[in-house]
Amino acid sequence: MRTHILAGAAAAALALAPLAAFAVDGGKAESMVLLPKFIGIAVFDQAHKGAEEAAAELKNPTKLQFLGPTPENSVAGQIEIVTNATTQGANAIMISNNAGDQLVPAVKAAHDKGIKIVTWDSPIPTAEGEDVFVAQVDFKETGKVMADMALDILGANGGEFAVLSASPDAANQNSWIAAMKDALKDPKYAKLKLDDIVYGNDQSEKSYSQANALVDKYPNMKLIMAPTTVGIAAAAKAMQDAKLCDKVKVSGLGLPAEMVSYTMNGCAPEFALWSFVDLGYLAYYTAYALATGQLKAEAGAKFKAGRMGEYTIEKDPTRSNGLRILMGPFSKYDKSNVEAAAK
Amino acid sequence: MSAARLLKSWEGLLLLMLAVVVGLSIEHSPVYLGVGNIVNLFQLEIEKIIVALTMTLIIINGEIDLSVASVMGLSACVIAWLFHHGVPMPLAMLAALAAGGVAGLINGFWVAYVGLPSLAVTLAGLIGYRGIARVLVEDRSFGGYPDWFNAIGQRAQFGPLTVSIVVFLVLYAVIAVVLHRSGFGRLIYVMGNSLQAARYSGVRVRPVKLSLFVTSGVVAALAGLLYAARLGSVRGDMAQGFELDIITMVLLGGVSIFGGSGNLAGVGLSILVILNLRNGMGLADITGNTQTSVIGALLILSVLAPNMVQTIRDKWKGRQT
Repeated sequence: MRTHILAGAAAAALALAPLAAFAVDGGKAESMVLLPKFIGIAVFDQAHKGAEEAAAELKNPTKLQFLGPTPENSVAGQIEIVTNATTQGANAIMISNNAGDQLVPAVKAAHDKGIKIVTWDSPIPTAEGEDVFVAQVDFKETGKVMADMALDILGANGGEFAVLSASPDAANQNSWIAAMKDALKDPKYAKLKLDDIVYGNDQSEKSYSQANALVDKYPNMKLIMAPTTVGIAAAAKAMQDAKLCDKVKVSGLGLPAEMVSYTMNGCAPEFALWSFVDLGYLAYYTAYALATGQLKAEAGAKFKAGRMGEYTIEKDPTRSNGLRILMGPFSKYDKSNVEAAAK
Repeated sequence: MSAARLLKSWEGLLLLMLAVVVGLSIEHSPVYLGVGNIVNLFQLEIEKIIVALTMTLIIINGEIDLSVASVMGLSACVIAWLFHHGVPMPLAMLAALAAGGVAGLINGFWVAYVGLPSLAVTLAGLIGYRGIARVLVEDRSFGGYPDWFNAIGQRAQFGPLTVSIVVFLVLYAVIAVVLHRSGFGRLIYVMGNSLQAARYSGVRVRPVKLSLFVTSGVVAALAGLLYAARLGSVRGDMAQGFELDIITMVLLGGVSIFGGSGNLAGVGLSILVILNLRNGMGLADITGNTQTSVIGALLILSVLAPNMVQTIRDKWKGRQT
């Protein structure tokens, strides 16, 4: 009954003002694929959980497919999954892109066949073949948050720090790092010196050894900033194992559940993140609304995504041809709140 | 080959595997038999199967080339680097092929003329050529190539077929003739069986080995070029780890890792089995680790099974005499 009323309200709203927000109407079968960068990473499992929640709310009778490649085969695997989903005639693919523009030919082929392409977490850099990007947070703000945490941890006297990122072609990490470099130009951060940017490819072992390599290479480095949940946990473990936590701190973007012990023992005093459950939920609502034709991928279009409320599609300020939906906000974690968040 | 012998042969076993895989795929997915899917099935692994053809020659000759995937990466990165430094695309492509030739020449020189084991030489190549590729493009990705270049890897230009697939088919025919119908092909087998015997019979073994490694390098570079065109963008880790997939395709095809035996028909069948298996599982939404384990298990079985049969046969014969 409730959905009928909502549907009626949505139809009325659409008739009156095409750009007013409407509640997404469920019940129609759409074949949806959720494609993470790779499988076996906690945050992607959380996004999957959020997407399943949205699928249940929207009563989509077709089961959500959660398909991902293995980390060592990420690019070829993502291309293969997008290509096979196209062959199978999926209605929407939700992608956290780990292949940079190498995914473009496969995504374009899918898009040309009428499949809706929603990226989440990490977009397609040129936005080619993509309908809309569900951005977790404003990428500029991420850079500023990283710079602020570095300043907080290093103190007024500043010091040297380095960035441990995911893969060199991860569009999200790259734009956050670029935004952080921009933020650092402010005189407020004048005493912070960025030594280097290294890549652990979101693999724990590689990130762990890259963190140790940074310590060897830059003896004066006081902080490792890792804008990836895999990298930050690996770096914190590396510093803890090397008993260096007094000298080198770790910060960046981390999952409370994975970081709680490092925050409590002082290895990673402060870090930030957004909810991946919400990100998966919002990505699913967006993709479903596009696939059913209720939502058009154009700037200014508004819709209501279940429990998360109203969102608007806008031009992506960080990519010249892209559209985005901005989720937000950031949560910062330290000793005072990490234990509660980890539960 | 009679029907009975075919059934007992390795190729017979591969045909059976292929029939099972294709049967299961048809049953599980209505889209499997579509022309588009068959083309995709080849396209998704096309660069590997092209290199598997020259790898067959190398392994039958009793050698190995572990550097092929790094040469693929090097070729793609040479194209990216030159193009972004203003070199016209056709020249950049030629330079990439030349780089593959030089890489093969270096491998071949150390193996054929200095007499070092190809395992060690090409392992060094695997590291060295990848290193050069990474130095060229660093941690960036290079795209923005002309449309006609991307079309080589992406667009169907011969009916439903892409240039890459046509390259594979032509190369398959050429190598089949060279290996099974020419004197040069005989030499490859003879040297693989016994290098000493070949040498004593007056075969000039060095030029043969050198030419095989150069061919391997050039074809790997061509595959790298096609890979760059298919993805439309190049980065330093391109094709990393492909050498193992390529070598397993050849071994599953019944080519002995010790050289001297095997044929291109077996490798062709093995390629079809692996490609159809991957595609069938992909369409059944089996991806990631499960897919890797299934193919891994198949390969372990297929490499172990013939050896075990041989061992049991030998023991049996030993008891009888």
